[in-house]
Amino acid sequence: MSYLEYNVTTVPTGLRKLLYFNWGLAILLTAAAGFGFLMLYSVAGGDIDRWAKPQMVRFGIGMAAMLVIAMVPIWFWRNMAGLAYVVALVLLIGVDQFGETGKGAQRWIDLGFLRLQPSEIMKIALVMMLAAYYDWLDIRKVSHPLWVLVPLAIILVPAFLVLRQPDLGTAILLVMGGGIVMFAAGVSLWYFGGVIAAGIALVTTVLASRGTSWQLLKDYQFLRIDTFLDPSSAPQGAGYHITQAKIAMGSGGWTGRGFMQGTQSRLNFLPEKHTDFIFNTLAEEFGFIGGVSLLAVYALIILFCISSALNNKDRFGALVTLGLAGTFFLFFAVNMSMVMGLAPVVGVPLPLVSYGGTAMLILLLGFGIVQSAHVHRPRTRA
Amino acid sequence: MIRTPLRPLARILEARAKGGNPDLIEKENLRARHEIVRDKARSRAEGRLLMLGLFFVAAFGAIAVRMGHIAAAEPREPVAAATDSIQAQRADILDRNGRILATNLQTYSLYAQPPLMVDPAHAAEELTKIFPDLDGKRLLADLTGPRKFLWIKKKLSPEQMQKVHDIGEPGLLFGPREMRLYPNGRLAAHVLGGTTFGVEGVHSAEVIGTAGVERAFDAFLRDPANEGRPLELSLDLTVQAAAREVLYGGMKLMNAKGAAAVLMDIHTGEVLSMISLPDFDPNNRPGPPVKGLPSDSPIFNRAVQGVYELGSTFKVFAVAQALDLGLVSPSTIIQTKSPLVWGKYRIRDFHDYGNQMSVTDVIVQSSNIGTARIALQIGGARQKAFLASLGLLDPSPVELAEAPYVRPLYPKKWKEISTMTISYGHGLSDSPLHLAAAYATILGDGTLVKPTLLKRKSVEKGPRIVSEKTSATMRSMLREVVTRGTASFGDVPGYAVGGKTGTADKPKENGGGYYDDRVVATFASVFPVNDPRYVLVVTLDEPSTYIAGETRRTAGWTAVPVAAEMIRRIAPLLGLRPEIEPGSELRLTEASVKD
Repeated sequence: MSYLEYNVTTVPTGLRKLLYFNWGLAILLTAAAGFGFLMLYSVAGGDIDRWAKPQMVRFGIGMAAMLVIAMVPIWFWRNMAGLAYVVALVLLIGVDQFGETGKGAQRWIDLGFLRLQPSEIMKIALVMMLAAYYDWLDIRKVSHPLWVLVPLAIILVPAFLVLRQPDLGTAILLVMGGGIVMFAAGVSLWYFGGVIAAGIALVTTVLASRGTSWQLLKDYQFLRIDTFLDPSSAPQGAGYHITQAKIAMGSGGWTGRGFMQGTQSRLNFLPEKHTDFIFNTLAEEFGFIGGVSLLAVYALIILFCISSALNNKDRFGALVTLGLAGTFFLFFAVNMSMVMGLAPVVGVPLPLVSYGGTAMLILLLGFGIVQSAHVHRPRTRA
Repeated sequence: MIRTPLRPLARILEARAKGGNPDLIEKENLRARHEIVRDKARSRAEGRLLMLGLFFVAAFGAIAVRMGHIAAAEPREPVAAATDSIQAQRADILDRNGRILATNLQTYSLYAQPPLMVDPAHAAEELTKIFPDLDGKRLLADLTGPRKFLWIKKKLSPEQMQKVHDIGEPGLLFGPREMRLYPNGRLAAHVLGGTTFGVEGVHSAEVIGTAGVERAFDAFLRDPANEGRPLELSLDLTVQAAAREVLYGGMKLMNAKGAAAVLMDIHTGEVLSMISLPDFDPNNRPGPPVKGLPSDSPIFNRAVQGVYELGSTFKVFAVAQALDLGLVSPSTIIQTKSPLVWGKYRIRDFHDYGNQMSVTDVIVQSSNIGTARIALQIGGARQKAFLASLGLLDPSPVELAEAPYVRPLYPKKWKEISTMTISYGHGLSDSPLHLAAAYATILGDGTLVKPTLLKRKSVEKGPRIVSEKTSATMRSMLREVVTRGTASFGDVPGYAVGGKTGTADKPKENGGGYYDDRVVATFASVFPVNDPRYVLVVTLDEPSTYIAGETRRTAGWTAVPVAAEMIRRIAPLLGLRPEIEPGSELRLTEASVKD
């Protein structure tokens, strides 16, 4: 059912839209961000001005932006998808050519008032683009090889550009996020099976290439894999992050050491304690209970999104909701796995909780689109 | 798949028959077909959603399980990879009573790694404030230059280390190192010698002995197999301190430029005290002198390295040998008509003692002529063999790094004139330690005593050199030297001291005879005489004192009073009981009893 078929009269208009706004989702988002404020306050040693306050301001701006986006009809965003994708792609190329270098990687475009990370925008734009593509595409053609190649190109071009920065973590997230949209859109399972098989073959090849003249990964990337497989092999070197992070989590135990009592993070043993490794601070100070609480909030957010998608007969709305929820899921799943030693260390922040400007803003913009899809979902007449 | 036609003829005809609109049928069928497609898509989408949901749930579960797993982990202290014990230290050196003469101190060295430095200019400025002896400009040039590493200070005090630490410069680094510490400073400096750093690393530095027992026992002290077992010396720190104090005062009083003293256990040969003045602080051992005589340097051990003609002290050996050979008895009369002319040589005495005197008086009055005549009776070969058996012609076997390189000096051709001069201590140069060991041999009980700096557990008697009778006779003669002879200042109330003086003119450094106003004055003594326990040799280098209207240089006026004072001070420390003859007090007590 395309938007032309919407029975517009069943879609709320004006301020009535606020009634149909997914307030539960908004509250969950605020709760997740609240964990972040608490931890940022704690890791700054009880200093609210250092990280917590700017984060709150950004969250406020983000929530306002989410509300505004939610008020705009979803079909507008569907029409904007192509533009957003092209703009994000241009920015990615721009950062490739003129970007600033931060922490050894070229990821930023300095706009003066804002340091922009185009790969963040691309995470949203790619999902929108794919959702719009499958909305446009005849449902009977989704598994046709030709029509599979198009979304593959849509995914792989930005992923390749991100990989060049180099930012392996974000590139993998882009590919997997796009994959989720394709999966939800109904692309034949054979393709996914094929990709998984190819992936296994690729990993084997990459590992086999180590130390040969055609080595496919950088040495530091191999080192990260080694460190992942055995963090204790380099407790002072590359395994330091993981070892310290696990010590922080383990010392939290079931109930934690208490708010502001985490020694690992407060004594600076834990690196990146306010960004990538903030979850360990949470687990150290509030223990398993605190960690599972945050996990529960995330799970509820995902659940709300899935239920919204299930009830949405608009293909674009459903796909974009699922895609963005999937991206969100990948964010925290990869981050949590990483800080718990389930996945190699790739620089992925914990969504809504980690300190960081663009990541939170972009995420809330994405949830704005989810909200818009929710508000403007077609309703069958009672 | 069988498709339902959009316009089934039967129904259209039926509709037409009933007058209905056949298009409605088509629309209805179209909608039905759309619904089928939509339902199929929807069911597939729902299936996909279910799979996605399951995947999410699995991921959530994995994360939560992992979280619980880590939360439930038992706390375990990290186990250090290295479990080896601490690196072996250099062993301590103790005196005979277990007091520490040398030990180790953990200090830190300071080095810089300029590539790590944040603010070299500030660091250089602060460092010159802490260490005023550093050259600020050079330091700054080094720190900002291309060097990757430089030492700044080899040893830091804890205060200095704290100050350097407070600079907060990451490029300034500390390395632990062991430092040899001599808590008693100058006491026993020459015995201990000193240490220096060998191979130096950032994390430690090798400590190696450079002199004295530190060098002689370097291998033992560094051997980890000893597990830190200390080296026990024969020295007695208390005695050493008292003796040094007296010797230092005596040296100043007698205007001597140097002094040496050796106190030896007469039976075991253990050196209880060995002093050489001027001395030095082994914690900061000076280097070898670049100008002047090496023998004037503070690091020169006069007691071991200083070979002097020890003068009349040697008469004891000639007389003892003659007595032992039965050539003379103490009362045998010896011709002492002065001068004794032998070829172109004339031998004189300090005073003219008349034409003849007993053997005892030859010693007591110290007659060169008398001794020379006795030596002639003995003969050169026997004399040389006897002196060699006393160890006076070979380097001392004492356990000091310097000892093997100190050879006594004596003429290559042992002519008759040599026999005569050597009998009264001229023409043969020995160290005070040689003299002390030889005295211990003759005056102990006649068996050979070898000097040692190590604490002896058991005494093993050496081969017999002279008979016990000769030994006893010599002791009584030496007692007479003190009671009525040249060493009359050597009497110490309560302790029967026996000894022999010796005053020898110093040879000129560049040859050509002797100085007539520079002497080496020696007093070699034994106490208590009737039950000999210790031998003390005191040597003063170039003493000169103005007493009783004339400038005195002879040992009787210089070395003897110093030795007497020393015995007075150290005898109680050695546990010797003074022997007070019963006198008037005893009678008084008897009288009081009668009352």
